[in-house]
Amino acid sequence: MAQENEKEMNFENAIARLEQIVRSLESGSAPLDDSLALFEEGVRLVKLCTEKLDSAESRIRLLTQTPEGMTETEFPQKNGNGN
Amino acid sequence: MTADKERTVLSVTQLNEYIKARIDADRFLGSLWIRGEVSNFVHHKTGHLYFTLKDENSLVRALMFASSASKLKFSPENGMKVLAHGRIAAYIRDGQYNLYVDAMEPDGIGALYVAYEQLKRKLEGEGLFREDRKKPLPKIPTRVGVITSPTGAAVRDIINIISRRFPYAKILIYPSLVQGDGAPEQLIAGLRYFNAALAADVIILGRGGGSIEDLWAFNNEALAREVASSRIPVISAVGHETDFTICDFAADRRAPTPSAAAELAVPETEELKRKIHNIIGRMDTLVSSSIRIRRKSVETLRDSRVLCDPLRILDEKKTRLVMDTQQLEGVMRLAIKEKKARFEKNASKLEALNPLSVLLRGYSAVFREEGGLVKSVRDVEVGDLVVFRTSDGRLGARITEKEEYPG
Repeated sequence: MAQENEKEMNFENAIARLEQIVRSLESGSAPLDDSLALFEEGVRLVKLCTEKLDSAESRIRLLTQTPEGMTETEFPQKNGNGN
Repeated sequence: MTADKERTVLSVTQLNEYIKARIDADRFLGSLWIRGEVSNFVHHKTGHLYFTLKDENSLVRALMFASSASKLKFSPENGMKVLAHGRIAAYIRDGQYNLYVDAMEPDGIGALYVAYEQLKRKLEGEGLFREDRKKPLPKIPTRVGVITSPTGAAVRDIINIISRRFPYAKILIYPSLVQGDGAPEQLIAGLRYFNAALAADVIILGRGGGSIEDLWAFNNEALAREVASSRIPVISAVGHETDFTICDFAADRRAPTPSAAAELAVPETEELKRKIHNIIGRMDTLVSSSIRIRRKSVETLRDSRVLCDPLRILDEKKTRLVMDTQQLEGVMRLAIKEKKARFEKNASKLEALNPLSVLLRGYSAVFREEGGLVKSVRDVEVGDLVVFRTSDGRLGARITEKEEYPG
């Protein structure tokens, strides 16, 4: 996988790819140079996932029935965090 | 006694009509509560209920029309103690009086409780609550569907906890009534909405605490079936820790409270990051052991008789090979050691380290003439032609001698 594409990857796909990499390393069937390439890709993906998690901001959506079906709108958050 | 005309003679019908009129005129018999035990219970296909109410000494026939029976919150059964409300009326044809029941509730325990127990038993009997039906919760859900009141404390708690633990997750709130008429239908619509497009990875279905009547929507049979058949795992979170609803049993997981459901639904970000980072260590172990195995085969090759006693023309190459192999090992050991140290420090810097280039620095392999790596002296015979493959070309050689080491 090209590194340019990795940057575009979302967290879910990156995690799925990471799991795939660990599985093929575990199977031990890949040639050594492939294993090393997988390893390097894995390290990049770990970094990517960590960055995505660090930059996450909560997204809260209210589903609303409209004539076109259910649509997502901003969930009205009250100011302040008082309970 | 003299003549007939001094007697008052009634027909049977007249008698029964008279009695019926007397009964109908009695206001007390027009509306009363009777305590008794149900027996001879028949649920007729028309929906009417026929039964007798009895105590230790006596019984009265009772019937309940379908229009009233459909409003019952429990199913009467033989032996059940009930309080029945209705009126007494005579049935002229049979010369009997009956209790026409218009409302009934279990005696002693609440009607809701009985209904709850009955539904629970029924669905349990169908296997709806079986453990093997329950789906595991996703480890990293990035879309959490929440079906609840958009204004209650429950939704607030769920949002707070998910935003704090795992802000990466998108929270999709499907607003629904959570009590009263129409609540089960809306809750079901929410489950169907998320399932139709698999629009969530996990669903939290619930509400905050309340009375048993408030929570009643979550003891609805159709809702319980919808929960059980959801393709998306459902966490049920209704009321407080001590409240158990039918939905709780049908769900893949029961959470004691809505807050607890949010904790169950999503991972904690720092912990998740740690786990993801551990993957590097795991990959390192796997690649290192793979290198170890390959190094072993290089050593086997090096020590093999074929390489120890090569043709003169290969002397120089052989010496280089042995030296390179040793050097390779040394460099590789160093590289792995250094790599491990650097992984622990900073994963991102690891990209610079590539053991491949070290490994590719040069060693030779021996192939049979017809192809295939020589891994054992048994792979070749004296006189066979072999091919040495180096990083920059190939060399032909003939086997002049062979000896197999024992063991």
